Order: sequence, then structure tokens, then C-alpha cells
Amino acid sequence: MWKYLKKYWFFCLIAPLFMIGEVSMDLLQPDLMRDIVDNGVLKNNFDIILGIGLKMIVLVLFGALCGILCGVFANLAAQQFGNDLRKDLFSKIMSLSFQQTDKISTGSLVTRLTNDVTQVQNMVMMAVRGFVRNVVMFVGGIFMLYRQSPTFALIAACGLPFVLFFVSFFLKKASPLFAKVQKKLDGINNVMQEDVAGARVVKAYVKEAHELKRFDEANDELCNVNLKVQTLLAFMSPCMNIVLNICVVTVILVGGLTFKTGGDMTPGRIMAAITYLAQILHGITFMANIFQTFTRAKASADRINEVLDCPEIIFDGNYESVPEYKGKIEFKNVCFAYPNTSGGYILDNISFTVNEGETLAIIGATGSGKSTLIKLIPRFYDAVSGEILVNGVNVKDYKLKDLRDKIGIVLQKAELYSRSIEANIRWGKDGATPFEIKKAAEIAQADGFICNTEYGYYTNVSEGGHSLSGGQKQRLSISRAVLKNSEILIFDDSTSALDLKTEAKLYEALNKEYDGTTKIIIAQRIASIKGADRIAVLDHGKIEAMGTHGELLEKSEIYRDIYNSQLKEGDR
Amino acid sequence: MENMNLPKGFEKKPDTQYLKYKTAEKRGEAPSVNFRGGGRRPMHAIGQAVEKPMDAKKTLARLLQYFSKAKKLLIPLLVAVVFVTLAALIAPTLQGSAIDYISKHKWSLLYKCLVGLGIVYACNVVFTLLQSLLAAKLSQYIVKLMRHDLFKKIDNLSIKYLDTHSNGDIMSRMTNDVENVSNTVSQSLGSLVSGVLTVIGTVAIMFWKCWQLTLITLLTVILTVIVTKQMSKMMRRIYRKKSEILGRLNGHSEEMITGYKSIVAYNKQPDVTAEFNKMSDELTKVGIKADILAGSMGPIMNCISNISFVIVAAFGGYFAYTGLISIGTISAFIIYAKQFSRPINEIAQLYGSVQTAIAGAERVFALIDQPDEDNSGDILMENVKGEVCFKNVNFSYVPEKQVLYDFNLDVKPGQKIALVGATGSGKTTVVNLLMRFYPVDSGEILVDGVNIKDIKRDELRKNIAIVLQDTVLFSDTIENNIKYANPSATDEEMIHAAEMSNSKRFIERLPDKYKTYLKQAGAGLSQGQRQLLAIARAILADPKILILDEATSSVDTRTEKRIQDAMVNLMKNRTSLIIAHRLSTIRDADKIVVMDEGRVVEMGNHEELLEKKGRYYTLYMTQFAGNQI
Repeated sequence: MWKYLKKYWFFCLIAPLFMIGEVSMDLLQPDLMRDIVDNGVLKNNFDIILGIGLKMIVLVLFGALCGILCGVFANLAAQQFGNDLRKDLFSKIMSLSFQQTDKISTGSLVTRLTNDVTQVQNMVMMAVRGFVRNVVMFVGGIFMLYRQSPTFALIAACGLPFVLFFVSFFLKKASPLFAKVQKKLDGINNVMQEDVAGARVVKAYVKEAHELKRFDEANDELCNVNLKVQTLLAFMSPCMNIVLNICVVTVILVGGLTFKTGGDMTPGRIMAAITYLAQILHGITFMANIFQTFTRAKASADRINEVLDCPEIIFDGNYESVPEYKGKIEFKNVCFAYPNTSGGYILDNISFTVNEGETLAIIGATGSGKSTLIKLIPRFYDAVSGEILVNGVNVKDYKLKDLRDKIGIVLQKAELYSRSIEANIRWGKDGATPFEIKKAAEIAQADGFICNTEYGYYTNVSEGGHSLSGGQKQRLSISRAVLKNSEILIFDDSTSALDLKTEAKLYEALNKEYDGTTKIIIAQRIASIKGADRIAVLDHGKIEAMGTHGELLEKSEIYRDIYNSQLKEGDR
Repeated sequence: MENMNLPKGFEKKPDTQYLKYKTAEKRGEAPSVNFRGGGRRPMHAIGQAVEKPMDAKKTLARLLQYFSKAKKLLIPLLVAVVFVTLAALIAPTLQGSAIDYISKHKWSLLYKCLVGLGIVYACNVVFTLLQSLLAAKLSQYIVKLMRHDLFKKIDNLSIKYLDTHSNGDIMSRMTNDVENVSNTVSQSLGSLVSGVLTVIGTVAIMFWKCWQLTLITLLTVILTVIVTKQMSKMMRRIYRKKSEILGRLNGHSEEMITGYKSIVAYNKQPDVTAEFNKMSDELTKVGIKADILAGSMGPIMNCISNISFVIVAAFGGYFAYTGLISIGTISAFIIYAKQFSRPINEIAQLYGSVQTAIAGAERVFALIDQPDEDNSGDILMENVKGEVCFKNVNFSYVPEKQVLYDFNLDVKPGQKIALVGATGSGKTTVVNLLMRFYPVDSGEILVDGVNIKDIKRDELRKNIAIVLQDTVLFSDTIENNIKYANPSATDEEMIHAAEMSNSKRFIERLPDKYKTYLKQAGAGLSQGQRQLLAIARAILADPKILILDEATSSVDTRTEKRIQDAMVNLMKNRTSLIIAHRLSTIRDADKIVVMDEGRVVEMGNHEELLEKKGRYYTLYMTQFAGNQI
């Protein structure tokens, strides 16, 4: 965290200086007031009233100016600090591996980026502004107290340990609760998220009441923890007040007795001492508040650091020359299991080769490892053992960017962003011309429905593509991959929501335009993949059989099963 | 025309300034733009900002209504605040007297005074504690209520609203806005009330002592009020802008983090990060402005209060000179004027957070004010037979683009109907209408001869089970997910449903079996497994009418085959509407409805339609003939 603040050391330094200016003016004011009353009002001297009054107004204006400037610099420091932190955090999140984002949920990542950064930012603001102000008040107060009478300073010194004890006691008790509050907050967000996203199902099953109950439970938990924290903290200020009040009474008593016995004391000094005591305590109470923010911010800072400190697990390689193949993929004895899961390998000793320009189809039951297999190619995950070669080079040797540039992948769940359709497709290739975009959309069979929207390609897609049907979403993400025009094209069951006619047209256009591109296609329907150069049948993480449609009908029982369930009647 | 050479679809840019991110939906009704029937939801044009006039007073009044619901807490709290304030007012006077007694050597009186001071202090401590405890309770109570109300509304929003508004925006009202209100209520309530009380008490005493001087003092108050008002106006504007950018930033973050996989796949991290940075910078710029303004409030108020002090001193001196008041009164006035400006100062300090809270409350109330989903109709349906009838139904999501034209469909109880057609032909819309997610424009839909408009909404839905293409699971145990529609089902029934849906095998391989808790709404499961669970849920719901919207598209065919066997049993004695793109799925349907562009073009069973050699025939043949890689 410090390194972010270091950049703004100048603001962090100058803001407190202005604060000292403001506080000093605050400290001078009572003196001037006494002057006006004693020498002006009491003596009926207008010139003095106006003279000192003017002086005072000037000083006050100066103080206000200092205060505002302090605010300016404190804000410049805190908000720019927050901005840097937020940006770094975001770019860190973007560089996390899939394995890491699987572990920290996306919802939690969003909270860290928004809430937690704000908390830490507030802490900085508090530190450069409030902290300094109260330290100055505290030190100044003690100094003034000592000047009134060393005895008074001694009384304050006796009270101080108690105050410090209370402060540390409450902070210690409260900080674990703050972490708990954050957790409960996540809980409430979770329910919200699920319900907003799954509204159709909630409504269809008439579960509104149930969901409300579920939410209320989460809400109760959050409120209870919050209440606990606040109840605890409610005791803090009274405890401090007791110490102060005892000090005040003691000061009056001791001061009075000293005065009575003719010691070095005046009523005015007692009066001043009381004011300074209040000032000191006020400073401490405020500091306690600041520490509270600190502990809260500490929890946030920890959560941010957890992300920032995520080690890179997928490293860039340093292969820079041009490989001899273009679009060749080899799997050599690849095994894979998702980290932190029990059970065996998802992929168990997979070996195969896809040649340049070849089309490999993969078919298999749910959970057989199809999606996992293709995710290893662009290194979304790294294989546990074995190696994967793209164009004859181990994927780990490539720079990540170079590797992923070679691959156009359409994921099972189409991910679209709230921007225009055109921008969503152009995602595949920066600086693509409208013609290229349209061409890609035509191949993906998306042009038709796009042109039918009022703004055509400039129509905005709503968040998560909710304004589109499943098939439209799939076709847009296919357009994107097609536009990328990479050496390897991977479809992860990405035409499942298309009707057969559209799907057929899509593949036809794709084969015509991108004949030389190596393709890996995961599909459910045999009809979609019948014409593939080779088909791999995946079963429980192993390749059960591999060959052309005809060969597989001969030798693979599983394939035959699938085939029979789908094509029996139509294959005439 | 500069557009002359652009391909079709690129001719027309939206009139409004082209923005990459929609700001339109942030507040109020989202503007909708025509979109051909294909989409199940209307799309939005880019960059139209809708700003509703803000009404802080009304918002505040509504916020106060929440307080009035907590009278049991509020009244003791106010009493505590009164005592705290009184103690705070009396203590300095007693301190003053004590010092007077010391200077006048009245020792016995001093001791009495100190005892009195001790009592006042004790009261202060006790009531301060009470006040804090009550304030904490009150704030949590109110926030809880507010969250409850908000969620209840979200729970009851129409599908149309949810379809046309960004989830992130709705979410942020619960997280950011309510949180802001909560923080402000718990932190500032006490100081606000005691501040107001102090001001009132002080003014009363001042009037009692000398009304002329009081009026002059109050003049400075008017100055304070004017300055506060001006600044608050500026502040509200800038805070609103800030929260708008913040909303946008949060939306962007959420979207990008959720859609992170494609970003990685396309090496888009630098671009996305650059966009984020731009927004973040913008937020910082506005944030600095807003907070500097808010931070200036304190010093400026301090300044004004001191100026008022000088004015009081000057006029007081003059009045003393003319003999209107005594000199003691002037010094008292000076103390009072100071005492009086302190709470005003404090309130001013709170201004920033209060503004944020009001802006937040405004957004919360705006959502709460959305109309509930239509809940008309009160006919209860017992022993539903499952007859469904669409009569001349017309429908459009947005006025200009009709999605269904004169749609007619008769379904006998227990019949299996398959809806077939290209994407965007209106199949999903049929489901949306039958579920009353959207109301028909004209025509009527009857279930067992009763217009669904007249059937109690929940009753209607209870008789229909739906399995959607996008599977929805909840962060709960598998058991509760399956029993979602039927919590009273026995474990045997649940296991039976799991078996029927073919999900039993994978569930029982999980370490905790049915008690396995699905983290993040089942993110660890595969698409297919998720769908199997959704099907199990529908099976256990045991409805009269079943809707399957491409429900098996992500399940591989072997699994689907097994599901289908189970479905045959499930669909027995049930009316089923199936939307599927796979003809193999629908071959056995009693009636196949072929749709195109919102119209029914063919209807009949598989054989009949093949005979006809029409649209269905073409569709059917392409599955096997032309559909090759």
C-alpha cells in the first residue's frame, strides 16, 4: 500500500502543514476573543472591538483558506492514491489465471475493486487530515496545560493510561467484528445477485416469498453483526468521558485548594485548564474514530492485498521465432485435474495430434472433459503433466499473448458486453473495417438479425447480452472469433442454441471462407460434426476412440450409441 | 452522404452522441429501441441520458417515515438526546460557577457545586451511552426495513423491468445506496438531533435575555443558511454526477470481471484496462471536486461563525453603551453565539455524507416506486386439466415491432406440443406470455377455458413448471435446489426426481451427495449437470403444464436420450410445451407448430408435416443433409 502513497508524498506532506495552519488559527481565536471582551467590550472601547475584530476576521479567513487548501491536497493525495490502487487492482484481476478467479469469486472481486478501495482511500483521507489535526490539538493541548500548571499536566498524565487502555480495548474487540460485517455483506449481495439474475425461475415457481425469507435471514445476520459492533463502540465514548470528567473535577479541586493555600494559581488558569483538557480528550476520541476507520480499512487493505499478492502462476515463455507449422496441435500424455478438488483426473493421459488445416470434432458425455481439454490449449489452465504443443512448440514456451493470438475460441457461455454490436464483434480484431465486421457476421449468420435492429451494427447490447436470445448471443460471439481470423478456431459447443438450418449454413460458410484454419469443434449433435476430418470420442477423461464418422461407426460403441439416438431415422 | 459506402447495417448511427457505455438505464425508464421480434427482450439505443428532477425534500420526508415506524426506539432516543444536551448545557455553567466560587473563596459552595457537577457528569455518561445504543439499534432497524422493502420490490418487479434494466444498477442500489443511508443514519443521527436541540435551547435563552441582540445574531444565521443552500445545491449536482460515474464504473467492473474469460481469450486485457482507467480517472476527477467542496464547508462555516461573533461583540458593545443591556449579558451572548454555531458547524460537516445518503435514498425510493408486477385476477384453479388455448394473440415488446401476429394455438390436456422455428420466430415469447411475464397486447390466452388474466397469478404459475435454457441454480444445497418448487417433498421423492432426470449418478459421486452446498450458484458444475438439476427440479414440482425452453441444448445427446426417457414419463398426463431446435427431441410431439416471424406457418404431427413437404420438411432434411462441417 505504501508504494502507492509514496507517489503523492508531496500532497501528504503539504496537506498537514495547511492543517497546522488551520488548527493554529483555531487556537489563537479564544485569545483574541478574550482580548475583545476584556479590553473592548468591558471597557466600552469601539476602536479596539473593531480593530481586533478586523484582525480576527483576517485570521479566520486565513484559517479557512488553510482548511480549504488542506482539503484540496488531502483529496488530491487520497483520491489519486485510490485511483492508482483501483487501476492496479483491476489490471491485476485481469491478469489472474482462471484457477485464481475460480477461487476468489467474481462477486468478491467486484466488491474488492469498489468497496474496499473506497475504504482504504477514506483511510488515507482521514490520516492526512483528521489524524494530523488531532495530533496537533493533542500535543498543543498538553503543552498549554503544562504552561497553566505542571500539576494539571500531572493529573492529565494520570488519566491518559486509562484512556489509552479503553481505546486499545475497544479496537481490539471491534476489529474481528468488522471482518464479519464484510462477510455478511457478501452474503446479502449473493442473494440479490442470484435473484435478479434468476428472476424468471423465482417467478415461475412462485418462490417470491421464499426468496424474501432467504434475503431477510441474510439481512438479519448482517444487521445483528452491525448492531454488535455499534453496541460495543457505544460504550467507548462514555468510558472516555468518565476519565475526562474525573480529571476535570480533580483539576477544579486541586486548583481551588492551591488557590486557597495561596499557591501559584488563578481562577483564569483553572478555566483554561478545563478547556484544554476537553481539547485533549476530544483529540483522543477522534483518534479512536480514526483508528476505527483504520481497522476497517485494514480488513479492506488485506482483501485487496490478497488479490494484488496473487502470484503469477501462468508465466510467459520466451519463444520468439516463427514456428514451422501453422495451426498444428499436439497433446502428449496430458493429465489434468482442477486444483483443490478431490477425485481423479478430469483428463487422463490424453494424446492426439491435429494437423494443419484439419478439423477435429470432439463428442462425449457431460463431464467427460471436453471443455477442459480445449481450455488447456490457450493455457487457461496448465496441464498437471504431459505437454501440449502448438505448431510444434510447447504452449508454455510462448508468450501468452502470442499463443492466444493464434487461437480464436468461442466459449460455451457466450460473453457479450454492454456496448454496440459492432464493438462487440470488433473485439476480435482491432481496427477491423465495417466490411470485415459485416463479413464475419455474415459467416456467423448474424448479419440478418443485426440489420433488422433499428441501429443495425450500432445497436447497443445490454449488459450480459440480456437483450438477445441464446442463439443470437452465440452467433455474435462466433462472429467475433471469425473476425479474429486466427490459425486455430475452437468452438466449445457454441452452436447449441442455433436451429439446425442456421447451424448448417454457418458451417458451410465457415468451411468456404476458412478452409485452411485448424478447427476444433465440440458438439452434441452428430449431424454437426459428421463431416469433420476426424472425430474424437471422449469418455471419462479418456479418448475412447478417434477416427472419421465411418470408422467410428465401425469401432466405437459409444459413438454408435450416440449416433443411433440421433440419426437412426434420418440417415437414409 | 458520408455513409454511402458503408455496408448494410452500418448506415444509421444513433442520433445521440455515440457513447460506448449506456448511461440511459441508470435512472428512470430505460429508452427502448425497436428490435425485431427475435430477441426476447428489447434492446436499448446508445447514450440517451434520462434525468429525473431530484426532490431532496420529498426523499427526506420519506426517509422520516421510516423513522416514524420505529417510535418505540425513537422516543426514548429523543429523551436520551434531550438529557445529554441538557447535561452538556448545564456542565459548563456549573464549571463557571465553581470557578467563581474559587475566586470569591466560597469553599463550601464550591464543594456543593462539585457534587452537582459530578451528578451532571454521571447523567451525561449514562445518557450518552443510552443514546448511542438506541441510535445503533434504530439505524440497524431502519436499514433492515429499507433493505427488506427494497428486496421485496425487486422480488416483485415485472420481468419487463428486469429485462430492460441492468442488473448491476439494481444491485448497486442495495449495496452502495442503502449502505450510504445506513452509515449516515448511524453516524450522524445523534449529532443532528442534539445539534438541533442545542440551537433551539440557546435561541430561547437568548431571546429571553435580549431579543434585539438575538435578532442581529440570527441575521448571521441567515447568512449561514444562504451559503449552506448555495453550496449544497452545487454539491448535490456534483455528488449526483459522482454517483453516476461510480455506478458506471461498478457496472463496468462487474461486467468485465464476469466476462473475464473472453477477455483473456482475446488478449483484451490492455484495452479493457485502459477503459477502466479512463473511467477511474474520471471518477477521481469528479470525486476530488466533490470532496473538496464538501470539505470546504467546515472552514467556511467556521469563518462565518467568527464573523458573527465580531458582529455580536460590536453591537453588544453599542447596546451596553446605550444602557440596553448589561456587560454580563454581552459575555453570555458571546458564549451562547459560540455554542449556537458549534452544532451548525457540525451539521455542516455532516453535509457531505447526508447529501450522499439522500442521493442514495433517492435512488432506493425510485426503485421502490416501480410498479409491482401485475397481480390482477383472483380465480383459483383446482384440479387443472391442462388445456391451453391462445386466441388471436398479438404481442410486441416495443410498440413498433410486433413479435406475434394473430397467434392461435389449441392444446388439449396432456398433449405434447413442440414449437419449432428459426431463432427469433417468437417461440420464447409464447412462453413469456403464457407465464404472464408479459401481458398480451390483444387476444387472449386461456387455461382450462379461463383467461389467464383472471386467474390468480401465483396460482397460474404454480401449475406450470419451466426449465430454461440459462439454468438458474441457487447458492444452497443440491437438496434445496431440487426441492425448490416443492419444499415439502420427501427425500425419496427427491431421489426419484434425481433419478428420473439422470442427475442421481453425478450427485451421489459428490462428497456430501444431496447435502452438497453449491457455491456461487453452482459455478463448479458443468452446464449439463446444471441443466439436469433444473430438470429434476421441474420433475419434483409436478405441474400440470410443463415448459421446456431448449432445456436440453447443453446436455450431450447421450444424456439427453436418457432424460428423454424420463421425460416421456414426466409428460404423461401433463400438457407440455417444448421449444427445441433438435428435431429428434420433438419428433414424438402430438403437435408440431412451425413458426416464422411471429406467425404460425405449419401445424401438425411429424408424419403429416413430412408429407406436406413444406417448411418443416425442409428443416428436417437439413439436419441430416446440409449440416456438415
